[in-house]
Amino acid sequence: MKLDSGLENSSSIFLGGCSGLEADFSAPPSFDLPITNDFDGWQKKSVQMVKPARGTTTLAFIFKEGVIVAADSRASMGGYISSQSVKKIIEINPYMLGTMAGGAADCQFWHRNLGVKCRLHELANKRRISVTGASKLLANILYSYRGMGLSVGTMIAGWDEKGPGLYYVDSEGGRLKGTRFSVGSGSPYAYGVLDNGYKFDMSIPEAAELGRRAIYHATFRDAASGGVASVYYVGPDGWKKMSGDDVGDLHYSYYPVVPSVVEQEMTEVPVA
Amino acid sequence: MSFRIFEYNGSAIVAMVGKNCFAIASDRRLGVQLQTIGTDFQKIFKIHDKLYVGLAGLATDAQTLHQRLVFRHKLYQLREERDMKPETFASLVSAILYEKRFGPYFTQPVIAGLGEDDQPFICTMDSIGAKELAKDFVVAGTASESLYGACESMYKPDMEPEELFETISQALQASVDRDCLSGWGGHVLLVTPTEVRESTLKGRMD
Amino acid sequence: MGDSQYSFSLTTFSPSGKLVQIEYALMAVGSGQTSLGIKAANGVVIATEKKLPSILVDETSVQKIQSLTSNIGVVYSGMGPDSRVLVRKSRKQAQQYYRLYKEAIPVTQLVRETAAVMQEFTQSGGVRPFGVSLLVAGFDDNGPQLYQVDPSGSYFSWKASAMGKNVSNAKTFLEKRYTEDMELDDAVHTAILTLKEGFEGQISGKNIEIGIIGNDRTFKVLTPAEIEDFLAEVE
Repeated sequence: MKLDSGLENSSSIFLGGCSGLEADFSAPPSFDLPITNDFDGWQKKSVQMVKPARGTTTLAFIFKEGVIVAADSRASMGGYISSQSVKKIIEINPYMLGTMAGGAADCQFWHRNLGVKCRLHELANKRRISVTGASKLLANILYSYRGMGLSVGTMIAGWDEKGPGLYYVDSEGGRLKGTRFSVGSGSPYAYGVLDNGYKFDMSIPEAAELGRRAIYHATFRDAASGGVASVYYVGPDGWKKMSGDDVGDLHYSYYPVVPSVVEQEMTEVPVA
Repeated sequence: MSFRIFEYNGSAIVAMVGKNCFAIASDRRLGVQLQTIGTDFQKIFKIHDKLYVGLAGLATDAQTLHQRLVFRHKLYQLREERDMKPETFASLVSAILYEKRFGPYFTQPVIAGLGEDDQPFICTMDSIGAKELAKDFVVAGTASESLYGACESMYKPDMEPEELFETISQALQASVDRDCLSGWGGHVLLVTPTEVRESTLKGRMD
Repeated sequence: MGDSQYSFSLTTFSPSGKLVQIEYALMAVGSGQTSLGIKAANGVVIATEKKLPSILVDETSVQKIQSLTSNIGVVYSGMGPDSRVLVRKSRKQAQQYYRLYKEAIPVTQLVRETAAVMQEFTQSGGVRPFGVSLLVAGFDDNGPQLYQVDPSGSYFSWKASAMGKNVSNAKTFLEKRYTEDMELDDAVHTAILTLKEGFEGQISGKNIEIGIIGNDRTFKVLTPAEIEDFLAEVE
């Protein structure tokens, strides 16, 4: 049994008889469904299987000069830290970034898939796809798999003809336009720093530092976030990586350990 | 998924034996599941000058159990006019834990002390008092798997105090760096027949 | 005890401030057969007369010295049945201690627990004090020890002590014979000689009992044959 989103069925007509070598890139991929009587039970188990990289902190915000995208780099399975060097900011194309929260495989696959679609759009239309369009492509695909156990919580950030763009898209089918988002288990902590320090009129270094600090604080409080705080900036000339700091070092640069001062020395009581 | 009570607060505790000395170390985190509440939490407790107990698991139970252990030891001191031997204390802890066989303290103790002739003694037990004695090292807490790995590869018999301190510290740090729920600094006690050296370790705060 | 109308304490103060029940208990001890104990440099000996009411009684069925743990033994003067209650309670206490700490109970602890039981029976409702005094001999990390426990629950550590019918003579004798550096064998000899003082009839392996504990920390009740050997040495 095959499952198809049915969104772009028509495209295969133009390509003509697919021989298998020339795979259909524009159509959303279709997958074999499991042979099982208990689909719900199977699905529950498969969701557990793709659990890695659940705990995460990612954030993105629009400001005067463009968009800042930042994330930690920890991947965990339950309490176990499976990696401290995961790339959670995915470079879709030179002008667009996606963030990764939820199932690692789901995020990686569908972002790569989105990258393909965006490039095809560029070739077909001789101009880059808008952030709005790209995020909608992703949201539609995710919606077509709704209820089947995909786990994706992502932000699509980029610069298009209209300027900076930022969308939140998730596997439940949600798609929100906004200027400030944070996704993942560490997001409440990141929001705390972000909302407190955010001003639209920030310089690029100021904004990058705000993103970095928000990620750092999230890694401190959230056990499932940690590793490296990566910060990207997307401006009119595309994205650029601003920093990638090990939060282990970052903590002691933000809060250096000062040798405690003895306030009062105990003295011998003079014998009367 | 079932509620995992032993992993509610997060912890990592390890004790190692050296030549006429021992070391016991813990992390410093207190969390509520994934949320880090405190980074200066005490998990190793003194019973007397040469006897320490580390309590991994549910923090509230660890604190209550610690208070009961101190109470029982003080009573013993008054009654018998002597400190408990580590072996004796371990039996007491075991008995106290088994008393609550059907409603246990959700904690895993690590006991380390210098006994008669300053012979080092270490042991751990499960939450209902099954003793597990070891000659080399014992571990407990959410980072116990990583700790086993680290200790297994780093431990050498008959280490002098300086080397023992270095080894237990490295083993602890390496282990908590692979565990979400423990870390945020460390605490090491190095006990020799003549002195107790207490140190706080700086660690990755994530 | 129960809440019957007899559950008030029988041991009550007399107007002069005495507990006559305890004095009666001490009298029961004082009229009992003589027992004594001597702490030597390397061990302890306890001994007692074993006079039986009739020659028809099988003397092998009577055991007045018993062990409480492998390294603690006890002898009584006074009422035999009462002593068995205390022995049973003390043995249980010793086992409970071992169950808790996986370590043998120290002599002082067992003596204290036993004394606490005897005290409790001077203050509880519906019971009377025990009609016995005990001599407890033990050897632990603190060396050889000898304790006497009385019906009131008071206890003392002794170098040598006696109780029962012949107490004053025996004590005087012990005071004369006792030396600090006495070896266990000498102590056994002294114990036999002390018993011999004021013993009605011929002393033998069958009409006295001796219990010893030495450096091996194992309490042992001597057999009549072993006693006879000692008796031969004393002659």
